[in-house]
Amino acid sequence: MTANLLIGLREGLEATLVVVLLMAYLAKTDRRHLLPRLWAGVAAAVVVSVGFGALLTFGPKGLTFEAQEAIGGGLSIVAVGLVTWMVFWMARTARTLGSDLKSRVDRSAGGAGWGLAVVAAIAVGREGLETALFLWAAAKATGESTQPLIGALLGLAVAAGLGYLLHRGVLKVNLSRFFTWTGAALIVIAGGVLSYGIHDLQEARLLPGLHSLAFDISGAVPPSSWCGTLLKGTLNFSPATTWLEAAAWLLYVAPVLFLYLRTNRKAPAGPAAPGAKAAVKAAAAV
Amino acid sequence: MPGFSLPQKPRHAWRNRPAGLAAAVVAVPLLLTGCTDNTKAADTSGGAIEVVSSNTECKVSTGRVPSGNLNFSVKNEGTEVTEFYLLASDGLRILGEVENIGPGLTRNLVVTAPAGTYTTACKPGMEGDGIRGALEVTQSGNQPTADADFQHLLDTATAQYSSYVKDQSEQLLSGTEQFAAAFAAGNTAQARDLYAATRQHWERIEPVAESFGDLDPQLDAREADLEPGQEWTGWHRAEKDLFPPAEYTAMTAAERSAIADRMVADTKDLVERTKTLEFTADALGNGAKELLDEVATGKVTGEEEIWSHTDLWDFQANVDGARIAFENLKPALQQKDAALAASLDEKFAALQAELATHAEGSGFASYDKLAPEQVQRLASLVDALGEPLSRLTAAVVL
Repeated sequence: MTANLLIGLREGLEATLVVVLLMAYLAKTDRRHLLPRLWAGVAAAVVVSVGFGALLTFGPKGLTFEAQEAIGGGLSIVAVGLVTWMVFWMARTARTLGSDLKSRVDRSAGGAGWGLAVVAAIAVGREGLETALFLWAAAKATGESTQPLIGALLGLAVAAGLGYLLHRGVLKVNLSRFFTWTGAALIVIAGGVLSYGIHDLQEARLLPGLHSLAFDISGAVPPSSWCGTLLKGTLNFSPATTWLEAAAWLLYVAPVLFLYLRTNRKAPAGPAAPGAKAAVKAAAAV
Repeated sequence: MPGFSLPQKPRHAWRNRPAGLAAAVVAVPLLLTGCTDNTKAADTSGGAIEVVSSNTECKVSTGRVPSGNLNFSVKNEGTEVTEFYLLASDGLRILGEVENIGPGLTRNLVVTAPAGTYTTACKPGMEGDGIRGALEVTQSGNQPTADADFQHLLDTATAQYSSYVKDQSEQLLSGTEQFAAAFAAGNTAQARDLYAATRQHWERIEPVAESFGDLDPQLDAREADLEPGQEWTGWHRAEKDLFPPAEYTAMTAAERSAIADRMVADTKDLVERTKTLEFTADALGNGAKELLDEVATGKVTGEEEIWSHTDLWDFQANVDGARIAFENLKPALQQKDAALAASLDEKFAALQAELATHAEGSGFASYDKLAPEQVQRLASLVDALGEPLSRLTAAVVL
């Protein structure tokens, strides 16, 4: 029961975090009207995953192992690209909030809003197929016992609950810090997603080095423990990390975070700076 | 109007790029690796292979299955999350896995597997190397349609043989290390026990080992074949000391250690070099024939193990090596010359049956105990196999 709950929690958190940070961003910049698109993306991912999972479980054809890993790994790497793009887009549009008329920003957000839906869909769909396969297996086992299904659903519910609390918490954070920290958090999360994607591709033998471990602390942080689950669910941290994964993480997080923080620091000095804070505050107050 | 033009760009980028990219990323692997049959029909044994994983065990319902699509039905009866892996014989390459099997759940894994030896592993708690077992996939005869391409069959054969060589050379190394430790420590009884069993790994891949001109004499030279001035090291040097003939002066402890260290070092060297070897179909076919010639010239005469008389162990190992090479090539051979494949099958079986009559415990009878007519029978079976085996390479390669 606990073990199944932890699986639901882990997979749920992986998807929830990105969605929550995007939601908070939309709320903070007073673009709540874009939320339905975000939800549409999430819903589409859930429907596709669940449908595909059912088809693969009950249909005449299954997915080869390589295909499963390549989809998982490929989607992860796309997700990283999208989230990175998103972070810089957020930093940039947050800056333009001050100098631009709100309506213009909204116009630009009209197109980007669908992009948002794609980010949400991929963030959820990335782990969605795996989770759906798990849930269908649990549903098949209900004849013997309903515990696995309940456990997994409970885990997903806890993940959603944590996501909601995080959402509420993030909304209370001071505005200028909010933009810095959400962006930074998304970059760190994306770094984890990238190294996980690399691991998937290593397993599918599209990349080498699956057995060259940089470190293995799975004895100290068992992957099946609460602690391991939270680390994996939030940061995609793997207690047994290969050199390639570690290198990918560092090579992504270090320069991207640097560039991001530089962009952010520049913001107040830029042409848009003087009125920025006031305008954002005004927008947030509405 | 910097603020106006700036948001325009991302708008187009957003709409077109991510969605297209995402679609490509999903579609490409699907097209490349694609779907696979969800079991049932292709599996000649009828049902799925049942795997039951508990916290301490990984029970696989069968140790031998016919090749084709293998359908594993993995049930977690433990209390921790488990994973199930099908690994190549090297125990490293992942051929298929199912992750996240929660307690009480059953999940399926479908893998298309050609004949060969595989490793199964359950990983309760997702930690460590898991609980491992061996799985033998036998040739089912009905070729998966994906294997129809002849070159693909040859590639599969050489890839399988190369993992076999790696596996054997690694087992040779760990066996040699144990043997050398016992030998150097003066633990004669244990070293004698390990002698023949460890050498089998060498004998199975002898044509490969012999392809390294320097290592073969260092590890396997017989006293009778030594050239003037050549230093005598390796297995037979140790053999003479473990099974001493009359009027033999035993080695000192220092001499033993030197021989033991040298054997381990040379074997390590061998393992390193086999890692980068690439095999071709003709190397497999010729290797099989060489192994059988080895039997005919050295083992049948009883001169290989002149002191230990463990020739039958080597005999069996040579035949094993030849048979594995043949079986790896068999799917290809069946397309070119099914009659030859059938004849080889039959002759390998006859020789194996005769060898089995000399089995003793986990090993074989001492060769000097065999009656002349028994040796004669073995020799004639080796000759009977040698003739069709000499046609194997030509049949597959030409």
